[in-house]
Amino acid sequence: MNIVVAMKEIPDIQQIRIRNRKPVTDDVPRTLGNIDKNALEAAVQIKEKTDSQVIVVGVGSSEVEDTFKEALAAGGDEARLVVWDGELESSQSAQLLAALITKIDSVGLILFGEGSGDNYSSQVGSRVAQILGLPQVGYVNRIEIEGSTARVTRSLEDCEQDLEVALPAVIMVSSDINTARIPSVTQILKAGKKPKEVLAANELGVAIPAAQVETISNLAPEMERRQISVKTISDLVKALADEGFGGGR
Amino acid sequence: MDFNLSKEEILIQKMARDYAEQAILPVADQIEKDNRVPDDIMAGLAELDLFGMTVPEEFGGAGAGYVPYVLAMEQIARVSSGPAMIISAHNLGLGALVNFGTDEQKAKFVPQAAKGEHIASFAFTEPGTGSDPKQLTTSAVRGGDHFVLNGTKRFITNASYKGPLVLFAIEAESGQPTAFVVEKHCPGYSVSKPWSKLGWHGGDLVDIYLKDVQVPVENVLGKIGDGYPILQYGIAFGKIGMNSVALGTTLAAFELAVKYAKEKTHRGQPIAKFQAIQMKVAEIAGIYESSRWLAYRLGFLANNTKNYREFAKEAALAKWVIARNAQEATRISMDVHGSYGLMEDYEITRIYRDAAMGPQVEGVIHMQQVILAGDILR
Ligand SMILES: Cc1cc2nc3c(=O)[nH]c(=O)nc-3n(C[C@H](O)[C@H](O)[C@H](O)COP(=O)(O)OP(=O)(O)OC[C@H]3O[C@@H](n4cnc5c(N)ncnc54)[C@H](O)[C@@H]3O)c2cc1C
Repeated sequence: MNIVVAMKEIPDIQQIRIRNRKPVTDDVPRTLGNIDKNALEAAVQIKEKTDSQVIVVGVGSSEVEDTFKEALAAGGDEARLVVWDGELESSQSAQLLAALITKIDSVGLILFGEGSGDNYSSQVGSRVAQILGLPQVGYVNRIEIEGSTARVTRSLEDCEQDLEVALPAVIMVSSDINTARIPSVTQILKAGKKPKEVLAANELGVAIPAAQVETISNLAPEMERRQISVKTISDLVKALADEGFGGGR
Repeated sequence: MDFNLSKEEILIQKMARDYAEQAILPVADQIEKDNRVPDDIMAGLAELDLFGMTVPEEFGGAGAGYVPYVLAMEQIARVSSGPAMIISAHNLGLGALVNFGTDEQKAKFVPQAAKGEHIASFAFTEPGTGSDPKQLTTSAVRGGDHFVLNGTKRFITNASYKGPLVLFAIEAESGQPTAFVVEKHCPGYSVSKPWSKLGWHGGDLVDIYLKDVQVPVENVLGKIGDGYPILQYGIAFGKIGMNSVALGTTLAAFELAVKYAKEKTHRGQPIAKFQAIQMKVAEIAGIYESSRWLAYRLGFLANNTKNYREFAKEAALAKWVIARNAQEATRISMDVHGSYGLMEDYEITRIYRDAAMGPQVEGVIHMQQVILAGDILR
């Protein structure tokens, strides 16, 4: 079977600077989201136990082909990519990804991270499942493939659920499913030689819905130092309590 | 002139940084205390192909060349110099084998070493000299189909590990330095207990005792009596690794200074607000950048040079500047830390000790300047 892993090209969060409360993303190198790397690792582990191929898919900037070398180094066998310059909201990404995935034969499993490394809106996986008419399970921290079903554990706030889902299915993994492996020098150098297909959005033959959500502003939360000085421990305890901390008094 | 790193280079740099932070950092203190790199770290480095980066694929290496090598080594040394010192000396011994070995020698010694199953060494220094080949005393006397080696080698990196050793001795008939491939721990080979070094803890450093060690004639590397070119190659190419270690130290000194300047407060504000501290940070930033481009460029030259004499001059220049820069950067970073920087609980102490090593190894700074001036004033 083919295991598809959808990964999002994002700016390297660690290199983003905040100026006037706005993120400055110009010239920030592109990378892939961390939880997406867990999804890829989950796919590679399944591949090692079953007879399957891992195909990574993504929509990204003109650099997307370069960005996805990281995924091909970390165990992806093949990449199918769409170039899209500009903003994309979840519904649009989902439409493009679903169109990409439809072109892939014998897909058994479609893996997503539970949220992207930048916006973390956690929508795209569910939307793709909806478009493709497939079952979906979120917050998964264990996947076991048994024939044509997957047994998964879903980690919820106060319980863990074991579920069985018929394949093909969409599964969104959480970061605690595994530790993504670090690719070796050889794997990195061979990544660029693995098969890949890079398409323009209009080559997919789907209509991309118009954006429905407008970003009005995107500002970092303001952190204010209160500059409260205290002279005694009890003053400190009181000051903390006044701010809503220290409930155990 | 393109100063951009390729995507592959960026990924290799990131790989080394990730491994250093995830696997080496948690045991960095242990490496400092035990003066030994744990076996699982050695295995992890091997799995990432870090022992075979510069070895061509046909001999089991990754064929990545020297630029990725510099990038990866910098990131490892940033966290712990010991593992980086091991890789550097290994790469030096292995490089000599790849460059000067016969096909049979390469087939026999290189693949396992490129995979990190064997660790290579390069042994020139003796109790009497670390800079002057004319003063070598280790002897090689022919006896039929083998040579008999006797002598002592001092301060040899990786000599405790199993694997090939490129060793220089005076061949009796020619009276000239000659390179031999010795299999470490063969009969007659023994080592001292590890030297307790000021810095670069974890890097394996011992003396070698050779007592009637028999080496088959086919283990002569290059020609009998013609060890100089191999020595020259080694001394020059070994500096690529040493420079990367010093560069990693400089990067750590910079990062530690920035971190401390932002964290430490006086009268409610971080010391980073003081201009005196700002100037120190700016100074280390400049030092790091100058080292960085020299080190990366030397990697680039190593990939492209065929003229070892020209390369030796470039390596000598880069070596003395980068080694000295590391010391300067750590000293300034120490100033940013104040008295806390003198306490072993603070990482800057390790960096400070590590920085003291570069100027004295792989040819002391003076020797580099002698090489360089000799060329300029020729
Ligand atoms: C951690 C570490 C790892 C090492 N690994 C190896 C290894 O793997 N293989 C190996 O062979 N060696 C190794 N060495 C040895 C090292 O390379 C030598 O010690 C070094 O080259 C200096 O040699 P020396 O100590 O004999 O100094 P000397 O050559 O005695 O120099 C001492 C001082 O004399 C001055 N001096 C000497 N000759 C001249 C001259 N002609 N002109 C001007 N000034 C001069 C210099 O200023 C120098 O500071 C290692 C050393 C260390 C500390």
